[in-house]
Amino acid sequence: MEAVKKLCKPLVQPLLAVVIGLLTGAVVISAVGESILDTYQQMWKGAFGSYYSFASTLARSTPIMLIGLGLSLAFRAGVFNLGAEGQMVLGAICATLVGLYLPGPGLVKMLAALAAGVAAGGLWSLLAGYMEAKFRVQLLITTLLLNYIAVLFAGYLVSEPFQDKTGSAALAQTSMLEKSVWLPKLFAGMSVHAGFLMALAAALALFWIVRFTPFGYEVKMLGHNPLFAQYGGIDKDRVMLVAMFASGGLAGLAGTVEVLGAHYRYVDGALTVPGYAWTGLMATLLANSHPIGVVFTSILLAALQTGAMGVERNTEVPLELASVIQAVLILFISAKISHDWWKNRKSKRRESHGVV
Amino acid sequence: MTYRLEMRNMTKRYGDFTANDNVSFTLGAGEVHAIVGENGAGKTTLMRMLYGMEQPTSGEIVLNGRPVVFRGPDDAIRHGIGMVHQHFMLFPDFSVMENIVIGYEPQRAGLFRRKDAVEAVRALSERYRIPIDVTARVSQCSVGEQQRVEILKVLYQGADIIVLDEPTAVLTPLEVKELLQTIRHLAESGKSVILITHKLKEVMEVADRITVLRGGRVTGTVSRQETSVDELARLMVGRDLQPLSERVSLDGRPLLQVENLTVSDRQTIVDSVTFTVHHGEIVGIAGVSGNGQSELLQAITGLRPVTAGRVLLGGKDVTNRPVAAIREAGVAHVPEDRYLWGTAKQESVEENALMGYQRKPAFSRRGVILRDAFRRVVEQWVERFAIKTGSRHLQEQAGNLSGGNLQKLIVARELGQQTTLLVAAEPTRGVDIGAMEHIHQALIEKRNSGDGILLVSSELSEILALSDRILVMYKGRIVGELKRSEATEEKISVLMAGGSIHGSGQKAV
Repeated sequence: MEAVKKLCKPLVQPLLAVVIGLLTGAVVISAVGESILDTYQQMWKGAFGSYYSFASTLARSTPIMLIGLGLSLAFRAGVFNLGAEGQMVLGAICATLVGLYLPGPGLVKMLAALAAGVAAGGLWSLLAGYMEAKFRVQLLITTLLLNYIAVLFAGYLVSEPFQDKTGSAALAQTSMLEKSVWLPKLFAGMSVHAGFLMALAAALALFWIVRFTPFGYEVKMLGHNPLFAQYGGIDKDRVMLVAMFASGGLAGLAGTVEVLGAHYRYVDGALTVPGYAWTGLMATLLANSHPIGVVFTSILLAALQTGAMGVERNTEVPLELASVIQAVLILFISAKISHDWWKNRKSKRRESHGVV
Repeated sequence: MTYRLEMRNMTKRYGDFTANDNVSFTLGAGEVHAIVGENGAGKTTLMRMLYGMEQPTSGEIVLNGRPVVFRGPDDAIRHGIGMVHQHFMLFPDFSVMENIVIGYEPQRAGLFRRKDAVEAVRALSERYRIPIDVTARVSQCSVGEQQRVEILKVLYQGADIIVLDEPTAVLTPLEVKELLQTIRHLAESGKSVILITHKLKEVMEVADRITVLRGGRVTGTVSRQETSVDELARLMVGRDLQPLSERVSLDGRPLLQVENLTVSDRQTIVDSVTFTVHHGEIVGIAGVSGNGQSELLQAITGLRPVTAGRVLLGGKDVTNRPVAAIREAGVAHVPEDRYLWGTAKQESVEENALMGYQRKPAFSRRGVILRDAFRRVVEQWVERFAIKTGSRHLQEQAGNLSGGNLQKLIVARELGQQTTLLVAAEPTRGVDIGAMEHIHQALIEKRNSGDGILLVSSELSEILALSDRILVMYKGRIVGELKRSEATEEKISVLMAGGSIHGSGQKAV
């Protein structure tokens, strides 16, 4: 009983947040004048109603999950990486170029593309980490601003030097990758691809690292009390840099598997418009940076989005319903963060003012 | 005799936990009544109930023969009860006078009469012989002066009963002496004083009666003439205290050599300090806190850059090396502030114990921490130091341990490193007598086994009890060195205050 309680306790908050999000959504639905039950039924159908829709949800959850996992490691180390978007885009464009222009057999190209994606995202993130370690430039700011550079640079690459000029319309995109580089689909005719398995593997690996290895221990302690970590001989900068590289690398991998498994080319805006990076951030916060938790929260958030598409197809309620519900979730999560902060502050005060 | 204050059968429960169990306490006019007890014995709760911050579960407070109920501190103040908190609550940018009269300013036609206020405070200061510069800014006052401001404030508000909460914890030995005189004088002029402390020596100097609490119950109320420090300690701890082990005399080789060590951060904090710690020796550094001791230890242990000078460990230069390298070279460190440096409060006891061991070959195999093997070691520490970990044992949050138990965990962790040098800062601050005994014993044993210990403490009794040699720090410099045989509290006190023990130069503070 005690064990069950302990397992359920961290779930109460996110579930409550989801319920309140859905209730707020209900208000919006009734404002549009649709039946609440009907709309949510459509949403469920859109997300989980058939094999096809379930597979679409999983496919959509793949980049969210990878990004969320990367961020969860950074957050655990007490590092605020807000640069997942740039890291993802840079990973995707590098992987695409390697897949397009590297000579050799398909499998080699695919593996090289994956490696290039991870390396590009990781190094981009490492750049911010290096600036923090060397010059004490705040990560929060550098990671955020580096997004613009990466996204616009990738946009330039595909609208000028590497643009696909073969088609009739000159879209900002690269040429199509050859079939041998594509990641296999998990089921014929469904959109979920091998990237999803990579995400699951990454979740398990992260869980294992955080739980059982000295590095995971050091990440955790650094996140909880940096001074204690320093006192204990943990090299703060080294752990921070490794965490930055890993989180950037996972974001790069997210972009890469989207290209290799879904779009088969780099299309400008295809990764940024759906807001994978920010949804991934939310998945991490909702899961309280727990790697296994991220698996579930990213599927949940993906379901919200694919479900909302189903809603738009079949009712008068617009797609933005998903945004409303997500916004409430964010509100709830940030309320929890500030509540914890407040509680901490209060207990600190009590300590310093008590009669011994 | 009727008492000025009676607390009858006070009980306070928080859920299943009984913080005060049927505690009775009386206080006569002109009496100094000390309340002593270990941390968590219930002193806090009792005083919070007296001051109206908590309502008792049962029991009553009788003031001058009439039962009273206090709704809050304001209520208590109006009834003539004043409390001087351990952490002062003053406005640093205001003058002494303004801090004293605040809330009860003398007024005429709605205007603040500064002159009257200055007069009133001066009169008070003379009457109770509490010297203070009325017009000085509080931010320019020493800690001892700030405490006097707090006491005057309470007197100004008309308190007949003054509660002093650990008043000597922050004072220099000379200031302690003056405070004890002030307390006696207050009592002679008819005020009643409740003194909360765990320093038994001071209690024996100043109190008329002493009430000892243990585990929320009164284990004895005794008058000073009929008791001794030993009896009080026994009542507090519930058993006899063991004398410290004999110290074996050892002529060890030099272990830690500090040469002209300077630490600057805009201004010079540690100023060209030179000393040596030998194998089998405890070197104590005495000093009022804030005279560079913390920074000195941080520089030695690698937590703060050394500006100039060298640190040698067993002949090897470790100046400005990373913390991990210094630890590897044979340094363990009990940090000054256990919450800031020594633990991660949200993490479990086990995770806190693991710090520094996570990459030891004994506890990791193929990149995985061997939890079971490590847990067995922690169990030994828990047993050796009698650490009370709470219901979830090793998985209990470290922040839920009492200060003393957490400190014992830290000391066990650092001793467990079995390094040749232990740097220990305030190893028993805020720790109760039982735990202090454990820690002191462990330090002596480490010394006797041939290791060296560098001890920093603002507690003179601790320095005197443990050290083979005593260095005194004042304003970043070492201003004196005393052998164990020649050290006395008086000599150290003078040095700590910046005076000199040679010649006639007794520069008063």
